[in-house]
Amino acid sequence: MKRWIGPLIVALACATAAHAAALHFAPTLIMARAMDALAQRGVALHSLTAPQRITPQTQSVVRSSPDLYYALCRYDLSEPGMQLTLRMAAWPDYQSLSLFDAQTDNFAVLRGTGKAVAVRLLPPDSAAQEGAIVSPTAKGVILIRRLAPDAARFAAAATAGEGDACRVVLTETAAS
Amino acid sequence: MRRVAVYLFAVVVGCALGVGSALAMAGLLPGASTMAFGDLNVEGWHSDFAIGSKAADPYTRARVARHGLLALAKSEAVYFTTSTDTNGRALREDCTYRINTGRALPAQWWSVTLYTADSLLPLNNDKALSINATSVEPEPSGRWEGLISPTPPANAENWISSRNAGNFNLTLRLYVPSESLLMAPGDTLAPPAVHPVNCRGKPG
Repeated sequence: MKRWIGPLIVALACATAAHAAALHFAPTLIMARAMDALAQRGVALHSLTAPQRITPQTQSVVRSSPDLYYALCRYDLSEPGMQLTLRMAAWPDYQSLSLFDAQTDNFAVLRGTGKAVAVRLLPPDSAAQEGAIVSPTAKGVILIRRLAPDAARFAAAATAGEGDACRVVLTETAAS
Repeated sequence: MRRVAVYLFAVVVGCALGVGSALAMAGLLPGASTMAFGDLNVEGWHSDFAIGSKAADPYTRARVARHGLLALAKSEAVYFTTSTDTNGRALREDCTYRINTGRALPAQWWSVTLYTADSLLPLNNDKALSINATSVEPEPSGRWEGLISPTPPANAENWISSRNAGNFNLTLRLYVPSESLLMAPGDTLAPPAVHPVNCRGKPG
């Protein structure tokens, strides 16, 4: 019996460590897969992708709402001096600009019902600045939602979306 | 040599058990139902207010990453899902249901959308995927009524098509929810009731 105690302790230690590691890394892996899937679907890096209206025939993400206009932008601020300029143009109904980090956390959301919203996104560990949000991770996804429950409203949302922006800019630090 | 093999076996079995138990407890195993989440139940409608937030416990974090990817935090929107009617039976394409609320829903805007068991919109061209605060005209009390069926009713207003849906579920989205809903959802929310009318022409 004694000779099994060592392997049993090793198995328990490995199980505990693997259990904790799987839970710790699961959100990051899930988000990385989602980012890859978005890239394959044509969601651009540092640019908002004009969406199609969600229908049974165009859906590509589970549980999408057919009543919303979704515009997505992937970002990667890994290079020194990079930051993003974000703008959500005015829309008379509900709209929001939400930011998700590489661990799937919705780390910021800005509501813009009836008004335009502009903000800068800074890389991790940046000093706080007025009019800017610091991303917890270098990579992530930005999502603009607009209430657009019929074809006419969706077309109007798409027109409003022409005023949206998700652009990378290089600061002086990087340029010098 | 045999001793080394035993320890290697212990490592492999331990790691497999550790990863497997973590995935199972967080609802991440392949085939796990997207309904297998939510610690909140209001009259059969399930929700998880941790969605979109940085929840403290790692199981919730992993579960939310899987089932609530790119979902908004609760200050912007909350999501409730049901897969059963008022008799507790599974929602099915071959049945007709009446859906109604007794009073206004506590949010700036809301929608009820039908999804298949795979969490997809049903493959049909009926253009009746949801009903929402824009499409219905509620009574002064906030009450409204709609129909869920595989074929259009005579009056197709407030109709959700279940054609090609198989067994399905409904998601209630509440945008800009009231503070009281977030504080006391069980006391504040009167979610839509889904009453069976008939199944293949027979009373439900």
